[in-house]
Amino acid sequence: MIKDFEHFAPKTLKEALTLLDKYQDEAKIICGGQSLLILMRQGLVAPEYLIDIKGISELSYIKSDGKGGLKIGALTTHRTIEKSSQMRDGFAVLAEMETRLASIQTRNWGTIGGNLCHGDPAGDPAPVLIALNATLKMASLKGERSLPVEDFTLDYFETALKTGELLTEITVPAPPAHTGTAYTKFNIIESDLATVGVAASITLGAGDSCQDIRIALGAAAATPMRAKKAEAVLKGKKISDALLAQAGETASTEADPISDMQASEEYRRELVKVLVPRISKEAMARAKKA
Amino acid sequence: MSEYSVIGKRVHRVDGPEKVTGSAKYTFDLVLPGMLYGKVLRSPHPHAKILKIDTRKAKRLVGVKAVVTGKDTLGHKQGIWRRFPELCDEEILCREKVRYIGDPVAAVAAIDEDTAEEALDLIDVEYEPLPAVFDPLEAIKEDAPQVHDGIELNININRHIEWGDVDEAFKKCDHIREDQFKCSSQAHVCMETHDAVVSYDYGGKMTVWTSTQSSYYIQRLMADMTGLREGDIRVIKPPTGGGFGSKFELDSAQFCAAILSMKLCKPVKIVLSREEEFTATKRRTPMYYFLKLGAKKDGTLLAKEARVITEGGAYTAMGATALYLTGFFSSFPYKYPNYRYDGYRVYTNTAVTSAMRGFGAPQSTFVGESQLDMMAEDLGIDPIEIRRKNGMTPNYEVPGQAFIQSCGLHQCLDKIEEHVKERGKLPPNHGIGVSAYGFMSGGIFNWFDTPYAFSAAVVRINIDGKVDLFTGACDIGQGSDTTLSMICAEELGVKLEDIRIHAADTGICPPDLGAWGSRETLMNGNAVKRAAAECKRQLLEFAAAKMAPNIAYDFDIKDRWVHLVDRPERGVSYFDIVKEAIRGKDGNAIMGRGHYTPHRKGMISPAYSFGVQAAEVAVDTETGRYKLVNVTTAHESGTVINPVGIEGQLEGAIMMAGGYGFCEDQPMDEGKILNPSIADYKLIRSLDMPETDILEIDTYEPEGPFGAKEAGEGLTNPTAGAIGNAVYKAVGVRINDLPITPEKVLKALKEKEKKKK
Amino acid sequence: MKKELKLKVNGQPYDIFVKPKTLLVEALRDHLALTGTKRGCNSSSCGACTIMLNGMAVKSCSILALQANGAEIVTIEGLAKGTELSPLQKAFLDHGSYQCGFCTAGMLMATTALLTENPKPTKQEIKEGIDGNICRCTGYNSIIRAVTAVVKGEYKEAK
Ligand code: FES
Ligand code: FES
Repeated sequence: MIKDFEHFAPKTLKEALTLLDKYQDEAKIICGGQSLLILMRQGLVAPEYLIDIKGISELSYIKSDGKGGLKIGALTTHRTIEKSSQMRDGFAVLAEMETRLASIQTRNWGTIGGNLCHGDPAGDPAPVLIALNATLKMASLKGERSLPVEDFTLDYFETALKTGELLTEITVPAPPAHTGTAYTKFNIIESDLATVGVAASITLGAGDSCQDIRIALGAAAATPMRAKKAEAVLKGKKISDALLAQAGETASTEADPISDMQASEEYRRELVKVLVPRISKEAMARAKKA
Repeated sequence: MSEYSVIGKRVHRVDGPEKVTGSAKYTFDLVLPGMLYGKVLRSPHPHAKILKIDTRKAKRLVGVKAVVTGKDTLGHKQGIWRRFPELCDEEILCREKVRYIGDPVAAVAAIDEDTAEEALDLIDVEYEPLPAVFDPLEAIKEDAPQVHDGIELNININRHIEWGDVDEAFKKCDHIREDQFKCSSQAHVCMETHDAVVSYDYGGKMTVWTSTQSSYYIQRLMADMTGLREGDIRVIKPPTGGGFGSKFELDSAQFCAAILSMKLCKPVKIVLSREEEFTATKRRTPMYYFLKLGAKKDGTLLAKEARVITEGGAYTAMGATALYLTGFFSSFPYKYPNYRYDGYRVYTNTAVTSAMRGFGAPQSTFVGESQLDMMAEDLGIDPIEIRRKNGMTPNYEVPGQAFIQSCGLHQCLDKIEEHVKERGKLPPNHGIGVSAYGFMSGGIFNWFDTPYAFSAAVVRINIDGKVDLFTGACDIGQGSDTTLSMICAEELGVKLEDIRIHAADTGICPPDLGAWGSRETLMNGNAVKRAAAECKRQLLEFAAAKMAPNIAYDFDIKDRWVHLVDRPERGVSYFDIVKEAIRGKDGNAIMGRGHYTPHRKGMISPAYSFGVQAAEVAVDTETGRYKLVNVTTAHESGTVINPVGIEGQLEGAIMMAGGYGFCEDQPMDEGKILNPSIADYKLIRSLDMPETDILEIDTYEPEGPFGAKEAGEGLTNPTAGAIGNAVYKAVGVRINDLPITPEKVLKALKEKEKKKK
Repeated sequence: MKKELKLKVNGQPYDIFVKPKTLLVEALRDHLALTGTKRGCNSSSCGACTIMLNGMAVKSCSILALQANGAEIVTIEGLAKGTELSPLQKAFLDHGSYQCGFCTAGMLMATTALLTENPKPTKQEIKEGIDGNICRCTGYNSIIRAVTAVVKGEYKEAK
């Protein structure tokens, strides 16, 4: 049963921040609410005040950052991103990721910011945004600050947001030339949360060597994570099947997954081992075309 | 056989317009004036003594109207096996002991659901936790905790089936295989959870609206448990959001709402939450299976022995039947000259296992069809060939058990063989697995031992020619209202729209045991057909008198035309005859009664349907993940009454049975079901659903109405086995425990690799 | 404590007062007695509660009623024009795309939204369109056939 609460529906960011500042920890933010309402129904979250930011239209946008990158308002729905004509070239991976995120109904209402703030290590957007080297902007009455996506989630369902802070924007920088990014997730039911998700972004240098690489894993640890050791295996080298296999191996050891109903720890490691080379190959193929 | 005018045609379901416009009113939708809302408090312990229940605080909460516990009941125990008191073991509201997580201990009625739920938190229950046991293999040990006092080794019930001389026969076999399997649980996941609105009035009469597969059973079980006379309880089944075997026993929603309503003389509604539905209603029976199979070199199966231990959960429920049927269907669909089965149902401190679509046969078919493929491989025989060699044929007697009249198994095998050939050479890591099955058309078990007919129907023709069909059959989505209306229209010679069906209301309908064991088409269909035939006989009497032909011609009615059989152009309108006949009866409507009770039809069922299924999978050998590419089914169910209905049953069965093979499971920790939500309980969705093809085989069942037999449950039997066999064909690994998850496949692939090295 | 909620449902304006915690599905079913919309899980997983909100399919069990303030909503009750069924409703009848019918409202709303957004979906897109909806009875394929028939223009829109 959901405990009743007082409901605020601010129309501007300023109003929302003022309310947040006023009610501090007694308030919770709701946006699409696709995850929060479930927690509230289970009684796991029972806020006194609910600040409903779904109606703040100033936070729903996709625009250019002026340098070939994108700025996405935190309240942009998954479906808007999926259907946006701006999700092409280096950003197409974002739309691809969104297509496999839950159901159309959920994507129509749920927002990318809400997904990130939920802090679920199995969420789809985080690994992709980490691979794309995206940053997050957070605002409070005191001001703004930014953080790379990879530093945003601190633990299971715990983020770096401080009391009084709101996630406002995601900046996805323009990928360097000759960069390809790809994402895949493993699950048993097609539209399900990831048992393991893997995103990779590869920038090819002279002679198709791996000039730069970012590999991000979902549902492979308490938070979405970068597989830096695996990246190191490939970085600066000419990519071969053997190296890719080694990177997969490395990623599977640096991952720190749990055993649960969906999969055992070993199986998750195994999946990381298989999916890292697969998706890196795909990223490389895209980099060649980019 | 003359052309049928109604049956076999693609028609709209009779409940269609209501359902596609959202105007069908389910129990879930009902609101009565003055209605209260109930909630049930359930045990958090798998096994505990109830020391004390203090309801005072809850009663004081504003808006709470009543709180009841086991003390407010008669203390009777419900069970469908009324002749065997020891098998009636479920109090529903526990008085002294709880036996699984979810066992009800108290219930509240309040002005709204929130208040009722709040009140649950205010009920103080003092428990003394007892040692608990979860696995049947543990529960049958000497020193295991006792789930029910005085039950030796926690064995709830055992079943033995035997014919021939099994031990002698094994001596004559060229090859013997012994294999072990484990079949998992499965949740029914009806989209409408269990719910009931019960209204008990000051005059001592009770009306129950409930989502059920048998208003008849609910009426009688409710009478047992409340002490009311059967006739004072009227059970009405509104449109029902699925059953699949989960809704034909008295459940906590019905019983608690009844007890609360009796306290208050006000209507009380209880709707189980999805979580309660997963944890505190019945589920498919998990089974440990030990199989021994012996054959001659040429593939002739000489002997089979099956030993089964099932996880019973806390109470008997319908478990005894599942135990029997899994044993019986372990011999299906083959002619074993020697066969022995021993099954044990063991009490455990887990949610109760019971009936679910297929009723023990999906388990036996999975294990049997898996082992048969292994045997075929050992002997170097084609899987279809070994099935052909041993498959049942028409007019076969299962020794001492059953007589099979119509049987199209061999035609089904031929069709599937063609299909597999047509698919030709498959891409790498694809495989097609085959699985054959049979199932019953209605069970010959009258659990209740009442003197009522198994199925009965009343047909009444009104002055305008409109026909009221009264039947106790329960349409839970499978479409019996439509099928029975079609049978009635065909027999009477009128159009489908002339029939108005009144079903599953014990106040006005004759009894019917309900929708289980695939019985409605054959059993209720026969009852309806007879009732309609009786009406027709009366009409034709009038017709004969009126038309007074000078020779004794036979009369018939077809498409609302009453005519001479040999000279169909000579006749009169059905409507005219109806008017005159009713006038001739002093204004009394034309009425016909019909019933069906199987006599001398063996121990299981009066008829059986058969089929063969081929499932194609594509395996990713690096992850073990496989896709269900296609499922093609050749099946026969006698005369097809309602073709749209059969397609739906078949495709729906693949979603459910494919899920049983592929992903559905109820993992537990210390008796706690870990995935009690649709998010965590994995179900096949549209993107996961394979292509499905149907190859219809013509048969005619002499025992069935117009030659029809079942086409609903049997279709859940073959899929898990077909998937298992397909995975083996694709990548050479055999998974003996359900569900066949990618993780298990990958593990097996790795082990296989290791062995190679 | 209760708050005002203005909605337009199936063309009809409503002005009601609800507790903030009221879910949209509850507002529709319990306050407006539009019981055609069902609830199968209450946790955003089954799709039985699907409705159209400002033209898009959403799960009404996972939206606070107040979040829909001012919105235009279409439920299953709003699909037929008078007594004439919508093309999808007719196609569902012809193809037997429902059995128990408990998922049907959600299925019809999901597919109606799909065709509003994309009148010519591919088979894959139809599958995606109903992937958020569980049907325990039909196995989905008859629903896909019904939508395909509508896409092919086999059913005329009611005037
Ligand atoms: S009730 Fe809303 S998705 Fe199930
Ligand atoms: S028709 Fe029963 S759930 Fe879809």
